[in-house]
Amino acid sequence: MTTRTLAERWYVPAEIRVLRGWIPFAALVNLVVAGGEELRGEGASLRIGVAAVVLFALLRLCLPDGAAAWRRQVARPIALVILILGVYSLVEGQPTSYELWASTWLLVPSALTLYWLSAGLSGTWSAGNGDSRVAELGLARNRLVAPRLEKFALHTFLIHATGLVVAPVVWILDVAVSPGNILGGDIGDAFTLEHFRTVLGGEDFWLWTRNSVVVAVGTTIVGLLLAIPAGYAFSRYNFSGRKGAMFVFMLIQMFPGIVILVPYFMVMKTLGLLNTSIGLIIAYSVTALPLCVWMLKGFFDAVPRTLEEAAVLDGCTQIEVFFRIVLPLSLPAVAITALFSFLTAWNEFLLALVFNTSNDAYTLPVGLSSMIPATGQQWGDFAAASLVVSIPVVVLFVLFQKALIQGLSAGSVKG
Amino acid sequence: MSEVEFIGSTKRYDDGTLALDSLDLRIEEGEFLVLLGPSGCGKSTALRLLAGLEDITGGEIRIDGGRVNDLPPGARGIGMVFQSYALYPHMTVRENLSFGLRRSKVRGRVSEAEISSRVDEATDMLDLHAVLDKKPKELSGGQQQRVAIGRALVRRPKVLLMDEPLSNLDAKLRNRMRYELRRLHELHETTTLYVTHDQVEAMTLADRIAIIADGRLQQHAKPLDAYHRPANSFVASFLGTPAMNLIEGVAKNGVFNAGGLGFALPEHLADWDGPGIYGVRPEDVRIGEGGSVRCEVGGMERLGSNAIYHLQTGGHWISALQYRSSDRQDPVGREGTGELEVELAVPAAVMFKD
Repeated sequence: MTTRTLAERWYVPAEIRVLRGWIPFAALVNLVVAGGEELRGEGASLRIGVAAVVLFALLRLCLPDGAAAWRRQVARPIALVILILGVYSLVEGQPTSYELWASTWLLVPSALTLYWLSAGLSGTWSAGNGDSRVAELGLARNRLVAPRLEKFALHTFLIHATGLVVAPVVWILDVAVSPGNILGGDIGDAFTLEHFRTVLGGEDFWLWTRNSVVVAVGTTIVGLLLAIPAGYAFSRYNFSGRKGAMFVFMLIQMFPGIVILVPYFMVMKTLGLLNTSIGLIIAYSVTALPLCVWMLKGFFDAVPRTLEEAAVLDGCTQIEVFFRIVLPLSLPAVAITALFSFLTAWNEFLLALVFNTSNDAYTLPVGLSSMIPATGQQWGDFAAASLVVSIPVVVLFVLFQKALIQGLSAGSVKG
Repeated sequence: MSEVEFIGSTKRYDDGTLALDSLDLRIEEGEFLVLLGPSGCGKSTALRLLAGLEDITGGEIRIDGGRVNDLPPGARGIGMVFQSYALYPHMTVRENLSFGLRRSKVRGRVSEAEISSRVDEATDMLDLHAVLDKKPKELSGGQQQRVAIGRALVRRPKVLLMDEPLSNLDAKLRNRMRYELRRLHELHETTTLYVTHDQVEAMTLADRIAIIADGRLQQHAKPLDAYHRPANSFVASFLGTPAMNLIEGVAKNGVFNAGGLGFALPEHLADWDGPGIYGVRPEDVRIGEGGSVRCEVGGMERLGSNAIYHLQTGGHWISALQYRSSDRQDPVGREGTGELEVELAVPAAVMFKD
């Protein structure tokens, strides 16, 4: 055997590389699909899914390496079988978008494998006939084709990831605008606003909203009033117990909320703060405090000390330095901290459920959950209410977007 | 315009580090004094003590004869230019300039008319018209620097402090700003204390230099006096590039001996008896026939306007600088090797005890 040139040793067709990465992913998708079929109890589809997973695994093992010709001879029939499976499941199943999507994950990978193993430079290479000429041509082609293939593969992955995130939102949107109070049905088959009318027309919803607004705004204000001075002190002053306190702050944050639930309840009961907004405000402010203090401390750290010294020389008192120099420069951080406190209070469920026994004191999350058993299965109303509850959060985010992005890329304050 | 006195001023940090050890220094009215020294020598500490940004732990500081040890920084009548400029990023240049005037309660409220006239004055002096309504981050380094100087000057400070103000600028701009600073000083004649580790800045800007090392004042003199008559071997080696040749040895009967090197001392040092450090600047070393010391050329650097020879003799390295060299006049030729006769016993030579 003659020695192989650098190009020959180096060359792997971009198409084969994509297959190496993508066939396992195809197997994974089919595994997920098979899992779904199992849950729905569809025996035939389940068998197809399992077969596909096994076949894809075999195919991955047998992908050509550019030398052994048998690999192509085995890999092509396997791909053909998967292709036939795909066509079969397409013909057999109902023509829904889901079935179509599932079949695509059989058809496209197998078809591409068949084509790439048979035609062009990758075909020649797969058959083990690649000489140095093929390798050099192939490397040149890789430079053109590889970026496009990689981009295509990456975006396929991203689209699926996005789908996974967006699907629940789309689903709940669909339930909210579908007539009746059921969970099934195809996306976008009917439209009604009856659920929104029910929710917004009910007295309870507005009562809960008022409670939630009071609690969330109160938490934000109390949280900021505590966190800003604390963060500044941690950032600038060297007092005994500083490091210990910072550590304990973080440590407390690590405990799951359920651990302190019962003690909290006892304290609130003793103080007579059950079923009040103040009780929740206190509890939430304290819960959110450690993280807020840490975030603000990090931001204050990024404000150069010389700025404060300059201000002191300009005749500022310590308080003036803080309010005129440090705070204006830290507004993005304050915005994040405020939003964080607000969201904590707005979304929190467990404490609110335990502290509040009366419908009058419910916050929105507790109120929403009470809708589920109270009125039978009012899924439509529930979905509509969930959407309405999410709106303030989205609005806040859009309003604060600029500050938030600045705040998240901390340390951008220049001296 | 004011005078400043450091009287036994000492700064010891909580961890025991002695940053400034009993500094005695007087800055005359309208004087431009440069504190020069290597990094970590205590020069910035002296500045920060005067500004009140650090608490003094011993001795006192006086401005115009009045003790300021316990005055808050804003009440001392000090303007400061920071190394990082420390412009307020959220304010425009105009707001940066006027911020201090609006805050200075201690010396009485400044009227709006007065504020705007002073801002205008600074704007004219520093040529800031085009940037008055911009934020600091939109300015170039040189412009930021001028705003920082303006901010310090609009308050009509008794003393102007500058902490390495040129070190963030590129070389070309630094040269120009150096000249600008000197011009500004001649214009407003504010007593100025300027901290730097750059001897060129010190030599060109200062009325007088105070050289500090290890928290102690080494010499306080006019720039050229410090250069030609250094008080000790530290000052001698710190000022001047290439550094002064310092040879440790023993003098006896008008002859200096240092290991394998020996030569007759020049007339003005002939009385020296006992151990000492003999110092001679590279440009004072005379190269050529008739020299009393024979050296081997270890290497040379041709810089165009001058050439530096690195010479070896009796276990010592000596640098010698010759102006306007050209290959034709070169006593050692292209390859820079060979032997040379040099004269070390020159009238400009100095002797130190340590």
